[in-house]
Amino acid sequence: MKPSSIYIIVPVYNEATVVEQTIIDLLKYPYSIILVDDGSTDNVQEIVKKYPIIFIKHSLNLGQGAALQTGMEMAKRLNAEIVIHFDADGQHNSDNIKNIIEPIFNNECDVVFGSRFLKKEDDQKIPFNKKVVLKTARYINWIFTGILLSDAHNGLRALNKNALEKIVITENKMAHASEILFEVKKYKLRYKEVPVTINYTKYSTQKGQKGMNAINIFFDLLFKKSGL
Amino acid sequence: MKLIQIFLLIALIIILISYIRWFRSAALDKILIAIILLTGMCFVVFPDVTTRMANWLGVGRGADLLFYIAIVAFSYTLLLLYSKTKVLEKQIASLVRKQSLMEAESENKNDKL
Repeated sequence: MKPSSIYIIVPVYNEATVVEQTIIDLLKYPYSIILVDDGSTDNVQEIVKKYPIIFIKHSLNLGQGAALQTGMEMAKRLNAEIVIHFDADGQHNSDNIKNIIEPIFNNECDVVFGSRFLKKEDDQKIPFNKKVVLKTARYINWIFTGILLSDAHNGLRALNKNALEKIVITENKMAHASEILFEVKKYKLRYKEVPVTINYTKYSTQKGQKGMNAINIFFDLLFKKSGL
Repeated sequence: MKLIQIFLLIALIIILISYIRWFRSAALDKILIAIILLTGMCFVVFPDVTTRMANWLGVGRGADLLFYIAIVAFSYTLLLLYSKTKVLEKQIASLVRKQSLMEAESENKNDKL
């Protein structure tokens, strides 16, 4: 497997201030990068133009789920062997990438989820209110999908070719994280969680998901499950 | 005829005319809407009919019965609109996606491929 057939998909929406740092960080590795600009109104395109990455621009803001799906479509067209979902806001640590693709290299599983709760020192870094939301979301996901992950909404994950061909994200917004679990269950894909470190910078905490958003996700899932 | 009956009749007639005149919709929908609105007009003109229906169903007043029906109809309409919005959202997403991929592919061809 050539390292360039591993694609890192970075969805970005109005995050020009941090995205450059994220890209520079990712370019340390021999992997390919697909940046999906989800209809940003800032100058992100100018900023990233000079880097050797694949740039895709949504003409409208659709949501992170939709941006990831667009990135995955592109990766499929480019014959990707592995895709990695990576947040632009600096909360994901690029050092984690090698851990997250290792189970796929060893053919242990099709989908790898990052988790903040598997290592004690990572767990301790998580702010309390964030922890409450994540723990609740974990059980909500379990009720809906029958899969109990230690970390419900960690955006860092890796998919092998098999998973890439099967999983389709139709939830445009944040419910995509749970939708991926639905898909994993539906296609009986093998999955695994590996510990990852999340950087809780001031920026990412502000930009990240608010607790109330968990309620939106809950209803999105409810309607999805009931087929409405 | 009381003043409120006249107001309600005028409102219903305006809704009926504007729906049939301006909204493009299937013939069946037009008939359905016309039936609903004409029934509404009958209820306005003969309010006793609704009271008799209400009593038969075990509800005290005709106005209460209409209120209950309205709640159910409103909830149904809301769900219908919600599901239509979801379908639209999906269609928009797939359009935007197609366009963005096409643009990205043609740009990449010019650049390095």
